[in-house]
Amino acid sequence: MTNLELSRAAHESALIAGNGRLDFPVETDPKPIGALLRPALRPALCVVEALAFPLALFGLWTLSSRLGWLPVQILPTPEQVAATLADLAGSGDLWFHTSISLLRVVQGFALGGTAGLLLGIAMGLSPRVRRTVEPLFTALAQVPPLGWIPVLMLLVGIDEGLKLLIIAKAALVPVALNTQKGIRNVPDSLREVGAVLAFGRWATLTRIVLPAAVPSVFTGVRYGLTSAWLALVAVELLASSEGLGYLMVWGRQLFQLDMVIAAMLVVGLVGFALDWTLSRVERRLQRWELAGS
Amino acid sequence: MADTIHPIHHPAHQAAARGALEIRGLTKRYRVSGTPFTALQDIGLSVAPGEFVSIVGASGCGKSTLLRLIVGLERQFDGEILLDGRPVAGPGLDRAIVFQEHRLFPWLTAEENVALGLLKSHHPAADKRRLVREHLELVGLGAFAKAYPSQLSGGMSQRVAIARALVARPRILLLDEPFGALDALTRSHLQAELLRIVRAEGITAILVTHDVEEALYLGDRVVVMHPRPGRIAGIIPAGRLPLAEDGGAPGPGFGHDRADPAFIRLREAVLAELGAGHAQPPARRAA
Repeated sequence: MTNLELSRAAHESALIAGNGRLDFPVETDPKPIGALLRPALRPALCVVEALAFPLALFGLWTLSSRLGWLPVQILPTPEQVAATLADLAGSGDLWFHTSISLLRVVQGFALGGTAGLLLGIAMGLSPRVRRTVEPLFTALAQVPPLGWIPVLMLLVGIDEGLKLLIIAKAALVPVALNTQKGIRNVPDSLREVGAVLAFGRWATLTRIVLPAAVPSVFTGVRYGLTSAWLALVAVELLASSEGLGYLMVWGRQLFQLDMVIAAMLVVGLVGFALDWTLSRVERRLQRWELAGS
Repeated sequence: MADTIHPIHHPAHQAAARGALEIRGLTKRYRVSGTPFTALQDIGLSVAPGEFVSIVGASGCGKSTLLRLIVGLERQFDGEILLDGRPVAGPGLDRAIVFQEHRLFPWLTAEENVALGLLKSHHPAADKRRLVREHLELVGLGAFAKAYPSQLSGGMSQRVAIARALVARPRILLLDEPFGALDALTRSHLQAELLRIVRAEGITAILVTHDVEEALYLGDRVVVMHPRPGRIAGIIPAGRLPLAEDGGAPGPGFGHDRADPAFIRLREAVLAELGAGHAQPPARRAA
């Protein structure tokens, strides 16, 4: 009885609100002008917001060098850094070192990312693999990439092999962990739909498990790439005769901190560009998630 | 061979006998953290082909478990579940279920979601495309084939789920509180729609709900269940109730007239039957 009254009340209030549209969404109200303008301004606003802090930092740096808060040997002026950057770019050194670093990261990330993906899928799907591999994996993952350098140096020397392995290890851990998590977190409700529709193992894997895991896998891939880039610079600082990390070491040894800061800027920008590119790919792959918003 | 065992369901009569469900002595026990628990006890129920049976009961009476057993998601049980004379063993495309949540795959469009219902059927690709289109139109969403679930309202998503359940032309459609999460207006609209669709397909349907009105509006019979252990308390025939003039759906509404005095009397009867299940277990335990 109360049920009936409730439903009648809901019905009436829905009608009074002019909301008798059942379940089909219909745009009725004209949008205010502010709402119409906002989408056009939003990207510009985003850029302004994102740049506010870096610009403030840059202003502080400029101010500090004008007022001589720190000696120029320790904190070079923005003009010095810009000139050094221009020099490095003009002589081709910058491109040479950046391309070496990028190549290393691409190779190492391809190796570690693929291995991490396969390991993550195996651990996500098979309880037995998880039981046998996960404890060791977790323990090894706790050792930071740099901690591996002494042992790996003895095993593979200090050449490209060392750098590749360190970068691969740095990429592998987040990719494997997030892939595993994504696969294990596939909702049972969706698995049941597959069972009811008589899906076999292959259909369950390709139609349900892997698509459902994509967001988590991608989180892992982005973390993996970031950590690969960090590991690269670290390993180049220690054992290298080229690359952006080497550029920093060299600058420090010559006490040319303008060169160190120039290299830092490039490292940051390249890292940012890599992550931004991946986030674009991610949005493309997950357009179904954005479709509703 | 099968003729001698099940003479009634002779292959020649199969078309007429499609969707006959027979449940005998069905008992389902779980272990909940070590202690045995009887979810369903000695359930017996015959559902005729094309019949619409509603099951009402308080939560915990095992009504959802019953549907999970019929659809094959739960395989361990005592007793018999026969669909057209054949015992049910695991899921199959001859049975379909619509859950309370639509459970659409968010990364697939409406038509791709419906097409999943045909993934394991052996139609040529062109037939599959046609069936998907037809069933989206059947639920009134022909224009939304390319929409993602995040772009659809709750009611629309549930329609897609119904299309996905029906696309492989199952013999029996199971509905587990399919409109429970929808607002009142959408719910009554979809109830009428569901009846139209089920009648159009000539399919047997079992609906589980806790809404007595919904059960009586849709069902030819209403099965009342009591909890602890889940069992059938009574079966109330509703097939003779007068039909509503306006079901809310385009075309004639097939549902029973909610305002008719006979409907209201039956509703009181069902509520009384349900209430008996609520009031008595403590008293019985005390006795």
